[in-house]
Amino acid sequence: MKNRFLITAVLFCLVIFNSNSQDFRLGKVSIEELKEKNHPKDSSAVAAILCKKGKTYFDYDFKKGFVANHEIQIRIKIYKKEGLDWANFEVPYYVGYQNLSDEMVRFSDGITYNIENGSIVKTKLNSEGTFKENVNENWKKATIAMPAVRVGSVIELKYTIKSENLTKFPVFQIQYSVPVNHVEFCSEIPEYFIYKQLLTGYVDVKSDSKLEQTSKTFDNEYRQTSSINYQQIKSTFVADDVPQLEKESYVDNINNYRSSLQYELETTRYPNQPVKDYSQTWDGVVKTIYEDKDFGKELQERLYLLDDLKKIINSNENISDFDKINIVFKFMQSKMNWNGEYGYYTEKGVKKAYLEQTGNVAEINFNLINMLNLAGISAYPVLVSTREHGIPVFPNRAVFNYTIAAVEMNEEKILLDAVNKYTAPNILPLSVLNWKGRLVRQDGTSEEINLVPNKASKQHHNLSVAVAKNGYISGKYLVQKTDYEALIFREREANVQKENYLEKKENEFNGIEINDYTIENKGTDLSKAVVEKFTFASNNHCEMVGGKMFINPLLFFTMEKNPFVQEKRKMPIYFGYPRQEKYNFNFEIPEGYQVESIPKAMRIATDDKMLVFSVNSLFSGNNIQISVTKEINTGMASADFYDGLKEFYQKMIEKQHEKIVLKKI
Amino acid sequence: MKIKKIQLAIILMFFALQLQAQNNEYPLTLIADSLKENANAIVRLYQIDVAISSQRSMNIKTKRVVSVFNESGLSAIDAFENYDKTTSVKNIEARIINAFGNEIKRIRRKEFKDVSAISGSTLFSDSRYIYLDYTPTQYPFTIIYESEVETSNTAFIPSWFPVQDYLVGVEQSILNVMHPNNLGFKKKEFNFSGFNIQKETDTDTQLSYKATGILAQRQEPYCNVSAIFPKLIMGLEYFNLEGEDGTAKSWKEFGKWYYDEILTGTTQLSPETVSKIKALVGSEIDPIAKAKMIYDYVQKKSRYVSIQVGIGGWKPMLANDVDRLGYGDCKALTNYTRSLLDIVGVPSYNTILYGDTHKRDIVSDFVSMQGNHMILAIPTENDYVWLECTSQDDPFGYQGKFTDDRAVLVIKPTGGEIVHTKIYDDKTNLQNSKGGYSIDEKGNFSGNINIASEGSQYSNKANLENSQPIERETHYKEYWSNINNLKLNKITFSNDKEKVVFVEKVDLNAFNYATVSGTKMIFTLNAYNQFAASVKRIRNRKNPFEIERGYVDIDEVEVVLPLNYTIEFLPSNFELNSKFGDYKTEIIKKDATHLVYKRTLSVNKGSYSNTDYDQYRLFMEQVSRNDNAKIILTKN
Repeated sequence: MKNRFLITAVLFCLVIFNSNSQDFRLGKVSIEELKEKNHPKDSSAVAAILCKKGKTYFDYDFKKGFVANHEIQIRIKIYKKEGLDWANFEVPYYVGYQNLSDEMVRFSDGITYNIENGSIVKTKLNSEGTFKENVNENWKKATIAMPAVRVGSVIELKYTIKSENLTKFPVFQIQYSVPVNHVEFCSEIPEYFIYKQLLTGYVDVKSDSKLEQTSKTFDNEYRQTSSINYQQIKSTFVADDVPQLEKESYVDNINNYRSSLQYELETTRYPNQPVKDYSQTWDGVVKTIYEDKDFGKELQERLYLLDDLKKIINSNENISDFDKINIVFKFMQSKMNWNGEYGYYTEKGVKKAYLEQTGNVAEINFNLINMLNLAGISAYPVLVSTREHGIPVFPNRAVFNYTIAAVEMNEEKILLDAVNKYTAPNILPLSVLNWKGRLVRQDGTSEEINLVPNKASKQHHNLSVAVAKNGYISGKYLVQKTDYEALIFREREANVQKENYLEKKENEFNGIEINDYTIENKGTDLSKAVVEKFTFASNNHCEMVGGKMFINPLLFFTMEKNPFVQEKRKMPIYFGYPRQEKYNFNFEIPEGYQVESIPKAMRIATDDKMLVFSVNSLFSGNNIQISVTKEINTGMASADFYDGLKEFYQKMIEKQHEKIVLKKI
Repeated sequence: MKIKKIQLAIILMFFALQLQAQNNEYPLTLIADSLKENANAIVRLYQIDVAISSQRSMNIKTKRVVSVFNESGLSAIDAFENYDKTTSVKNIEARIINAFGNEIKRIRRKEFKDVSAISGSTLFSDSRYIYLDYTPTQYPFTIIYESEVETSNTAFIPSWFPVQDYLVGVEQSILNVMHPNNLGFKKKEFNFSGFNIQKETDTDTQLSYKATGILAQRQEPYCNVSAIFPKLIMGLEYFNLEGEDGTAKSWKEFGKWYYDEILTGTTQLSPETVSKIKALVGSEIDPIAKAKMIYDYVQKKSRYVSIQVGIGGWKPMLANDVDRLGYGDCKALTNYTRSLLDIVGVPSYNTILYGDTHKRDIVSDFVSMQGNHMILAIPTENDYVWLECTSQDDPFGYQGKFTDDRAVLVIKPTGGEIVHTKIYDDKTNLQNSKGGYSIDEKGNFSGNINIASEGSQYSNKANLENSQPIERETHYKEYWSNINNLKLNKITFSNDKEKVVFVEKVDLNAFNYATVSGTKMIFTLNAYNQFAASVKRIRNRKNPFEIERGYVDIDEVEVVLPLNYTIEFLPSNFELNSKFGDYKTEIIKKDATHLVYKRTLSVNKGSYSNTDYDQYRLFMEQVSRNDNAKIILTKN
């Protein structure tokens, strides 16, 4: 059950409660709040959000229809100098709509409170502390610097974003890198709109909703005041004492574990109109996406590829499907160039992208799919969310930001991504190895696809080492890296000059000297292992103490530090993909010396054999053989395993430091 | 009609010729092999034509042709221009040429990206930049970038850097400058020797240089770029800065202009603030004591927020606004502190400098607008006290590593003066560690240590005081990465800002510090201060190297050995002396189970030649090896 964590992470707890929570109003800062020196529950906090209140409500405009107002009121206390940045705010807003008006943001009630000579002094925010700028053609950003802020200050601010985009609300963040004492969110939504509410994170949030009658007045086309009556759904969410979210290492994306609230439009049901489905089930999501002209229609285009396809695949020859896939994949991978844009919709269209040889993710992989289909291979798009983008848990269009391709062969699926220059069939970019993808078929059905591989990627190291009488070691080294280990190597080193690479390697390996370096398959055959060979020499890897030689059995591959240093862990531990590292050492000891001790064989494993470490050793005459294997058999481990994992690493490191001891005869 | 036909034919022929010519732009075959070595890209031509037509008008045309071999070479393209209220981009475009010299794409201005120039800590700025965002479809390719920029800011004539990047070769770099003969044009060359650079013209209205065949350079550690790459800086004696005419014949004159035109009228404060500050200082008469109170007041009241608006990029915000809003950038906070000091009769001067942990001087024999930071100077009898006004933590007068030991420009009402800031002597950059530890029979470690840091080492540590528990834990687990299974029990700090000494007291233990195998126990004696930052081996180092700040580490540690064990092997005392520094360890056996470990490492500030680098590396390697010396015990 290594998936356990996620379910708790996103479990939606709907508890009915009385919404007589503490009454928070801007402008009512108490002298106690100002005098407080430390956060009562977390003395290390540099600042705290004393209260945050969000409210989303709709206005009616006879021309534009309903318009959403997203109002945020916030009160922040600064405890330490490091917390002064909490007095600066940035609010991005969207201005790139095709058919809707630009969003607008308005600030009000910005006040800084301080104590001077025992009484409260207020300093108001005015326009000189407010800046607006164009970030790019789609986004603007409003920036606020609150006045007269110092350690001890309390800040209040209110801002409202007005938006005609009703399909999605701005994410309401519940958890921050500082504690939040009280947070509440309330939405008042006309009965014509049904939203999906998504609550993520570990924080306990209480919620309630009820139906109430309301009316809104508006100016009609004759500038008369009219009113509209309807029922609205009022939902409230409240959380108290939300602790700060702390950074941990080996985490896929910290935002997966941050508590937040999102709204996405599910259906609209205007009077006298049929109900319109936006997204409800995965099938609904897929259908909406497929019906978009920048998705489904783009996957029908293929004739423009015919000439090039004929050039690479001769239809007279009998070529296996497997070879066809490889040929088309390699062709598209080298032909197309990624412009850095993500997305599962095309922008300029597959055809134009193909002609220009550049495109976004969808354009490149749709071209791959189209050409495969044209070659008679059934290929499908797979919607994916990259690691940076978070986990795609709930059916929702916005959870995806990437698309790859899948081909079905003999009941198995081959996953392809031609965006990255170093991937191969079934080897995807690391950022794509995130949870599950969704394969989309032409008929609008879809299926969940496992992205994280089961097969371990390998690093096999072989070293033959001669130890000289003066403690100098020299030898030959060979390493083979497969699958993801090869991908990572290629991505990192493909463009590095050899001289620089070797210099880096020499320093990484504790100052050995490298000669006769050769490499195979660096950028040529990407489905094959990378093979590196070199000879080395070092006088740093044998300690001579009191007539004895002490040698770390793993030489420059000795792990020095336990990456898991924290005492406690909340988030699951991310490894990315399963892997196996193997080291075979053959030591030749100098004449006049004999073996006093070598590390004994051992084998340790965590629960479920998720991680396994083993050492085997033997010696005969002047030869010592040591073989070490380390396996990580999962892409991700639950936080429950943390203690065991930490201990495992500790034992592994200790074992690696158990030395080969040679003594003079 | 015949004539016409001939004409047409000629025109067509001409056109064809032109096309032909265009077809062969910068083919890769023409690049010398020597230039390709270690190069991710090659600058085929970099030409800047600067035309200064008057004190208030300058036009800069840039042509940059770069052949890019791989992704890492993309950064050499450098196709961007800044603009703001006084600077406009008149033209910007690029063409992409394939390896054979044929044009494959043309990129016009509207396809360039136009974004706000805000980065890092800057909260707001009204300047923007236009840049090329091109996705290459093949490597290698060549890009021909051309731009034209017009500005009234003649205070900044762009410097000429024939070499701009590591791992980029340069075929040809050309600078042409035209200027009126009455504006006092001047220039200064740096690091030209060793590079193939010719001065082609140098008259009273024209200047031109040409650099050719510069090989790709590799980056090397302990190396100051400003000391190795060639550079030409230029300036005018009569210039314009954001609409203000200025003169810079001498530092005195330039400083006077800056004081009179830029700083005047910025220091007024409200009567309430004036009386508040007077009350704060009370009857104190010593100027330094008064300054300390005011510095403390500013540190508590204000925060650093960088806002670059219009002349705000050069002119400080009004002191009254800083007083009201409680924030500002370095100029604003410095000027504000000066205004407060002024109220209580303590003179002080805004000081322009390069703020950077790599020391960088204001070029003192080249009067011009320089620097990127501002601090405050308070004159004492023969010297100055320097105040960093953007920090809420720095002790009064402390310069750490950001502003120490460099030439700066002090702006006095009577004019500017070049002064050198405080030098932290190697011997005063001291870390003194005193403590002890004991090892039990199972090899477990428990100990405590007092680490006092002074001088420039103070700035390495002072941040710990305000760090979060997790950062603190990470710091010690990093600092003592040689101690596996480290557990921190109690950590206390004392920060003496008066004497500028930061003391850490740490109580710690660790399981299995010593390796026990059979009847033997083995462990490293120097547990608390291992020289860990190994000095990188560089293949064929070319450039000289520099140790910017020296330091001294002194350690004295009492070691208690477990009972029932006797010493089988004790590392011998060790001493190493070189021009880079001195190292000495001494182990004193007090009795059967008590040792004292003493260690001194001093490293000397200095500039050394490229051939010295390997000696330095070996010196540090020996230090590191001896720091790792182990003791062996045998069970009785």
